Amino acid sequence: MKLKKVVSALLVGTMLLSCVACGNNSSNNADKKDENNDSKTPSTESADNNEGDGDDSADATGDGKLVIWTLAEDLGQFADHYMESHPDVEIETRVIQPADYVTTIQTALNGGATEPDVIVGEPQMLEDMFDAGYFEDLDQAPYNAQDYADQIVDYVWEVGQDADGHQRAISYQITPAGFYYRRDIAETVFGTSDPEEVGKLFKDYATILDTAQKVKAAGPYRLFASDSELGFFSGQAPWVVDNTLNVDQVRYDYMDLVVELYQQDLTAYAAQWATPWYQAMSGPVPLLTAETQWGNDDLNVWDATQFASATEGMDTVEVMAYGLPAWGVLTLRDNVGDTSGKWGVCSGPAPGFSGGTYIGISSLSERKDTAWDFVKFCTLDEETADWWIVQSEGDTVSLKSALEKHADDGNETYGGQKLYEFWMNAAEDIDYSIVTRYDKAIGDAWGNAISSVKNGEKTKEDAINAFYDEVASVYPELTINRE
Amino acid sequence: MANTQVAKRTKKRNKDNIAYLFVLPFVIVFLIFSVYPVLRTLYLSFTSYRGFGDPVWIWLDNYKRALTDKFFWRAFWNTCKIWGVNIIVQLGLAFLLTIIFSDIKYKMRGLPIFRAIYYLPNLIAATSVAFLFKTLLDWRFGSVNQILVSAGITSTPINWMGDASIAPYVISIIGAWMWFGNSFIVLMAGVQGIPTDYFEAAAIDGAGRWTRFFKITLPLLKPILLYTFITSLIGGLQLFDLPYLMAEGGTLGNPSGCMQTAVMYLFRFGFETGQVGFASAIAYTLFIIILILSVIQFKWLGGKED
Repeated sequence: MKLKKVVSALLVGTMLLSCVACGNNSSNNADKKDENNDSKTPSTESADNNEGDGDDSADATGDGKLVIWTLAEDLGQFADHYMESHPDVEIETRVIQPADYVTTIQTALNGGATEPDVIVGEPQMLEDMFDAGYFEDLDQAPYNAQDYADQIVDYVWEVGQDADGHQRAISYQITPAGFYYRRDIAETVFGTSDPEEVGKLFKDYATILDTAQKVKAAGPYRLFASDSELGFFSGQAPWVVDNTLNVDQVRYDYMDLVVELYQQDLTAYAAQWATPWYQAMSGPVPLLTAETQWGNDDLNVWDATQFASATEGMDTVEVMAYGLPAWGVLTLRDNVGDTSGKWGVCSGPAPGFSGGTYIGISSLSERKDTAWDFVKFCTLDEETADWWIVQSEGDTVSLKSALEKHADDGNETYGGQKLYEFWMNAAEDIDYSIVTRYDKAIGDAWGNAISSVKNGEKTKEDAINAFYDEVASVYPELTINRE
Repeated sequence: MANTQVAKRTKKRNKDNIAYLFVLPFVIVFLIFSVYPVLRTLYLSFTSYRGFGDPVWIWLDNYKRALTDKFFWRAFWNTCKIWGVNIIVQLGLAFLLTIIFSDIKYKMRGLPIFRAIYYLPNLIAATSVAFLFKTLLDWRFGSVNQILVSAGITSTPINWMGDASIAPYVISIIGAWMWFGNSFIVLMAGVQGIPTDYFEAAAIDGAGRWTRFFKITLPLLKPILLYTFITSLIGGLQLFDLPYLMAEGGTLGNPSGCMQTAVMYLFRFGFETGQVGFASAIAYTLFIIILILSVIQFKWLGGKED
């Protein structure tokens, strides 16, 4: 009996203690807030010193630690660099997989979490995140982001705005797309390696098909590593207009082109991001055909050892071009090997862009001033932009002054081509209005339709009908005019 | 005297109240982590909540959408196919072993060791099982195809996970391999609970092995079978991990969506397209379907139980 009493007293005591502890936490925070009002923490002082526009909302938790939740590892490097010049600020960076990022942010911010302080998003995520009010309005005081509008490349500035035109996020990079091509192969096949002239070989889908056939006929070459290289130039109109599914003619032409490239063996069948796709950047790769690559995943192209043993003794081809955004410079940087210096970059059949990490402040953050200082440090500080260009060995920043400053920089991997100037011009043509919140799911469904046609699994008509069915299932609110 | 009785009653009542304190921690955790999510999901299933902003009440629209969506029924049919083949193989294997191990003539030894061995696959994480079988069944490099081709059983490698007419059943067989040990243990426990007198008496009366099985073992195993069927149905219709990990395209369950189960379909809407309200409705639709099927099974198998 006594034992029972003791145990129950312990249980009740533990529960009460945890309740008290919970309550105590908030009162502690409150105490800390009060303390902060009296004496600012070093990080607040730092923000104030740097900006001169800090107010008493900064760093209310008093632990001086800025928390960043990002899906790009780059921000970790920015954070380290920030701490070097701001030794009194501690930054905790958490990198979250893109697939889990939105759910993680939703859970935290819907639950009222005051951390993270700095949040990010990619263009296709931003519309929903802005609507939910997760990002602080940067146009209001003390941020007054509109004062910096002319410092950032126009389309990047526009991507970071919500439906009402309020600035919510800014990116430190621009991501226009182009074709990265091997100058030596272009010279051999077409007698020119000049970006202007080579760009004409990619000016429209019909010309691209013709170019691909000529490259194949000229020797052990293929124009593209995979048929995904055109993905960044696959549509010139939004998928959804006035709540209606919009499949414009360019989408159908794109489907036809991909099917032709696949069925006429005009690519190296090196699936994008797979081992041979990277290998083809540095030299010859085994010549796969639609048959050996049937179903795309049958040949284990993801394991370098297995791929090498399975393709030993096979004929090889060299790949001439890759379609990638500006960040492709970093991909090629790590994979071109001995072909370094033989590359060039030219325009595609239309302006395209993809990705980009947009940084903003969580509307629930209690360290908004420090967070704003960090956002400005990453996006609007020319010294940081200079540092990042060197650090990343060629990433393309969004700060106009830095781009102009580096416009004449030649990139040795690309035979000294002035890439910053090229990307700066390419960014001017980008039309952000074609991005919608539906793009991911509809794009995936369209990709499935194209795959089923090129594999011979379905006729074009059946595949398009299946595509309509899938879109209708995922987004029943959309009107679909079946053609 | 009366005061003493009142005091005793009060003391007794106090003693009873103490018991509530003991169950309180569990109840609190249960309310927060089980009851609240269940009720919240029910509420969300009547809204158009997309994970952002406030939920908007739309009555039964989500349920109408789920019940009229051919992709939901395709996913449900896929689930039934995978579960149906799985349960036949799983219970068939478990029954066969039960017959062998319980036969009074065979007198098999080492039951505890065999039981442990058969149960082992159940202890391996689904991710490990998926990785193991993806490697074994790889179209070009997998051991299974290499053995089949080198033994002359097939001239070309079989595309186990890339052929829509084969892939779902591969999942069924892997599932059966994982879970037959569990069914075997349950069935064996049921058989061991049947008095041996029945079998001996039947044997003396001239009943053969199959007669004893169908007339004694099977009828007396009915409650156990009912339990196995219902738990398997509930688990089977919630199948997610194996097909999700083994199919191409994640929740799309490719090729051609042949491995997209009902819960993968739910997951796609809840976590990939952010349609939380609709995903909640799918969850409840699935719950109601499982409930109806369980009741049918219960009536069918347990109808004559007293």
